[in-house]
Amino acid sequence: MTDLSDPLAHVKLVSLPRRKVRWLDRLDTKQTAPWLFLVPTLAFAAVFFILPLIYAFYISMTRWDTLSPPRWVGVENYRYLMAADPIFWQTFWNTLYFAGASIVIGVPLAMVLAYAFTRSRGQVLWRSLYWLPMVTNVVAVAYIWKFMLDDRYGIVNRSLGFLGLGAPGWLTNPSLALTSVVLIFVWMQLGQNMLLFSAGLSNIDESYYEAGRLDGATERQLFFQITVPLLMPTTLFVLITNFISGLSYFALMLALTDGTGGPLRSTTVTGLYMYQMAFADLRMGRASAAAFILAAVILVITLIQLRAFRRGGVEAH
Amino acid sequence: MTRLNATALGATLVATTAMGTMVSAQTIQIATHYNEEQMAPLLACFDAYEAANPGITIEFQQAAYADFLQTILTSRIGGTSPDIYNIYSIWAPQLAGASALAEPPAEILDWIGASYGAGTVGAATIGGILWGIPTELSVYQLVYNKQLLAAAGFDAPPATYQELRDIAAAITKTNDQGVIETAGYAFGESVATATHPYYSQMYAAGVPPFGADGRSTNFTSPESIAIITQQAALFSEGITSTTNEVWDMSAGTLGMGIMANWNKAEFQSIFADAFEDTIGVAPIPTDGPGGTMLYSFLWAVDSTSDVQAESWALLRWLNEAQDGAALSCTGQMLNDLGALSGNLADLAAMDTDDSFTAPFVAAIESGTAQTQPNVWQAAEVDRILHGYITQVWAGVMTAEDAMAAADAEVTAILAEQP
Repeated sequence: MTDLSDPLAHVKLVSLPRRKVRWLDRLDTKQTAPWLFLVPTLAFAAVFFILPLIYAFYISMTRWDTLSPPRWVGVENYRYLMAADPIFWQTFWNTLYFAGASIVIGVPLAMVLAYAFTRSRGQVLWRSLYWLPMVTNVVAVAYIWKFMLDDRYGIVNRSLGFLGLGAPGWLTNPSLALTSVVLIFVWMQLGQNMLLFSAGLSNIDESYYEAGRLDGATERQLFFQITVPLLMPTTLFVLITNFISGLSYFALMLALTDGTGGPLRSTTVTGLYMYQMAFADLRMGRASAAAFILAAVILVITLIQLRAFRRGGVEAH
Repeated sequence: MTRLNATALGATLVATTAMGTMVSAQTIQIATHYNEEQMAPLLACFDAYEAANPGITIEFQQAAYADFLQTILTSRIGGTSPDIYNIYSIWAPQLAGASALAEPPAEILDWIGASYGAGTVGAATIGGILWGIPTELSVYQLVYNKQLLAAAGFDAPPATYQELRDIAAAITKTNDQGVIETAGYAFGESVATATHPYYSQMYAAGVPPFGADGRSTNFTSPESIAIITQQAALFSEGITSTTNEVWDMSAGTLGMGIMANWNKAEFQSIFADAFEDTIGVAPIPTDGPGGTMLYSFLWAVDSTSDVQAESWALLRWLNEAQDGAALSCTGQMLNDLGALSGNLADLAAMDTDDSFTAPFVAAIESGTAQTQPNVWQAAEVDRILHGYITQVWAGVMTAEDAMAAADAEVTAILAEQP
């Protein structure tokens, strides 16, 4: 007769070999169980991130055109890029300029606009309008700006002409082209950064501003003494994500210059150069080596940013 | 025979026939950079070929010209290569070097030898091996706007560089903001509009851009330095600028530029009845013996294809006039595009008597149009050269320094070839 007071009594009827029981017991421990649940994630990461990374590193040590088997060349690709290639360092500085300038112009602009819109009517409308470029295809963005910035027929230069001003070669003058690309990129990114700053602003308690106003602070003082310091964690996040995306970005340059990165390679950033090496010149090894050099630079700069902001910004508040 | 037995026999026969059909059914995949609209004559021929050859199915794959080589590579890595490619001849050395292309069978080689011009066959030949059937030929010549020349007081195109400079200067007009609205002469921001015109001018000057062995260059020759210096002078003298491109010819805001014959269809559609009175073609102005460059595309078969014999048979059928037609299927497509064919019978039957096409055909038939050399890493070499040429245009480097640097860089690449 079954003992109804113990609902699991029947389980005891199944007896497993001692070794198997121990193995199952071990799975049930606090040390093992979390790893068990992480297995799908870890397996995904191993297959889609770690293995490709290892393979890419191996490829960076070879000469490979994808048609023939890879041929081992050691660190030759790294040596060529860093010591012999007449283009690589130019693209590297272009990349730093692009990433740096888009932050210097874009981040403060996004912060100020987000601050202004949180105090204006129709916030949702403004946010939606500024968000639109983010959801527009980059090729469409590139073509629209190409037409607008055309030296002869573009609306920008025609407007300048109407005012009696000259016609800059926005995309044809080598000393101006990359700055033009930066401005277009800032325009594209503005909505996303504003959204992040808006989220950060909503977390600042209104009582800080009320206390400031009671003490006679001006709007300018409220912004610089309360908003900017309390937005530091958001600013850090925006800076790091913008810088990382800026360092590896090249889609806009590809579409704006028909893949040439001109004029005079002035808009060839390292990402675009890697693309040209890999898919136009079939130099997969060299392109992989460039990717690792760029990744190392991004890592170092990100660590510096993190340390600088923690010491001087986030932890101070 | 009982009804049951008869049914069983019938079913067996049907099944056997179906299995036989399945075994002999073959699919041939063809990849080209031409889109469906451009391919229309060939697509109709595919249907006709399928009807005449039961069991053969032809599938067409299109990839944009800029992505075509990547598409081939990706499909090869993925094991899904098309059976037939229409490739640019300068891609052939690497594809052949990697054993990606199948050598044509002997009867196809004999047929190509008898049906195509020697220069055309040379464009599809690497290291003495012919790798496919030549198709579209592109030749560079000086294209000019007759009306702009006439308005500037000139009734004939230039024959020398000095004449070109004088005519271009007379045509050039700037607007109130100092931007050149109508350029006397223009290049462009691509290999096809900068490097290829340079190669064409080199041939016109009587000096091929590369050594005969494909391992050296003539970039630093006096002729080469003179050409690049003269090009840069057009920029420094305000006759042209990076704003102006050869594509402005379609807008009627360009006097002259070195362009290929495949622009004909666009000019015809834009200028319509005024085409012949507006667009003119002349040999490339030079102080040398004269000449120009041609490049070609070719039909090639993938070495991993399991229907190689069928693919070559199809390609021969597509490139021979069928049922009394004047043009082959490929020839008809090229004719509709305003392009030229390397097939002698097609070229003879094409509409080439108009004033635009005749100078291009004359250059091919006279042998003054020479094949773009299929050097190692040709696309990369073209791109490097383009970079140095544009630096001279911008006044950043002298012609001597730029071409010496280009020579060093390109020679190192040419030394990589097996």
